[in-house]
Amino acid sequence: MTIELTPRMVNWIEACGCHLCLASPAGVPNVIMARYASVKGDEVTFGLTQEEVGAIRPQLTENPWVAFGVSHVGGIRAAYQFKGTGKLMTSGPVYDSIAKEANEALAGKLNAVLVVKLTEVYCTKPGHVAGTRMDTASEGMEKFEEDLGWKDFAPPRSS
Amino acid sequence: MVKLTEKMHEALKVPGKGGSLVYLATSSLSGKPNIAAMRYVDTCGDDKILISDMFLLKTKMNLKENPNAIIAICHPLEAGGGRLWAFKGKAIDIEYGFPPNFNWYGVTAKEILDGWGDWHAKEPPEEVPPDIVYPVPAQRGVVVLHVEEVYSLKLGETGTRIL
Repeated sequence: MTIELTPRMVNWIEACGCHLCLASPAGVPNVIMARYASVKGDEVTFGLTQEEVGAIRPQLTENPWVAFGVSHVGGIRAAYQFKGTGKLMTSGPVYDSIAKEANEALAGKLNAVLVVKLTEVYCTKPGHVAGTRMDTASEGMEKFEEDLGWKDFAPPRSS
Repeated sequence: MVKLTEKMHEALKVPGKGGSLVYLATSSLSGKPNIAAMRYVDTCGDDKILISDMFLLKTKMNLKENPNAIIAICHPLEAGGGRLWAFKGKAIDIEYGFPPNFNWYGVTAKEILDGWGDWHAKEPPEEVPPDIVYPVPAQRGVVVLHVEEVYSLKLGETGTRIL
């Protein structure tokens, strides 16, 4: 099943960037911050610097799983967790499509992009819905958000 | 041995006390990662970070089989020079019912549960928006991370070991 993120999810991810978690095959986690993110269909593309790529390459070459949540105020306001499999790219159409914008966001330090193909979306709001898988919700993810009363479809400018 | 700095101690508090939300990252033993934001955070001594076990699911399952974990500041105030840190170490979920003298890197279950076992009463979520706050607290324990390494998440320095 292909995942289509809601407009609210897309807005928060692209505005705030994300904290990414990867792990070695034996389960040792690693976290980096991805300051630039772009969503297209069921793929989220993160712009990364050389240091960020260096920090995750050892895990990614052996284990493609990537889990991520929205950074900054998105940690509380955009209470989602996304999971999928990731691939690093340093050229090609996907890289070219975001390179200019990502490079600006990273102060000219863009080195590669990490493309994560999404397979799972979870709600992380505290309470009875914590840990609920959203992408399999029978009435869809937008209805799920509506039922939670989430009306802030984009973060405030200061976040 | 790691000794957290004063700035780290200040950041590792609930948001209402000048701290920040944090991300707690864990993994299954087979390498499937998990990351979830946490509001209840505090430090204990020089090298331990505490998180409330409230509504933990996969995090809890992961810690039951694999103690490797990372805590990172969710809102790192990048523009101000930042709280751009990732704290890496071994974590355990000290749940109600642990033997009081159970020892995790120098701290006992009794000390932890006496100090942070009713965190809702200790630091109620007054700053949390009404559409986000939980209706009823459901704490089942306290996650204790023994910090072994601290890494930078600063732009251009990510992955550099600080402590």
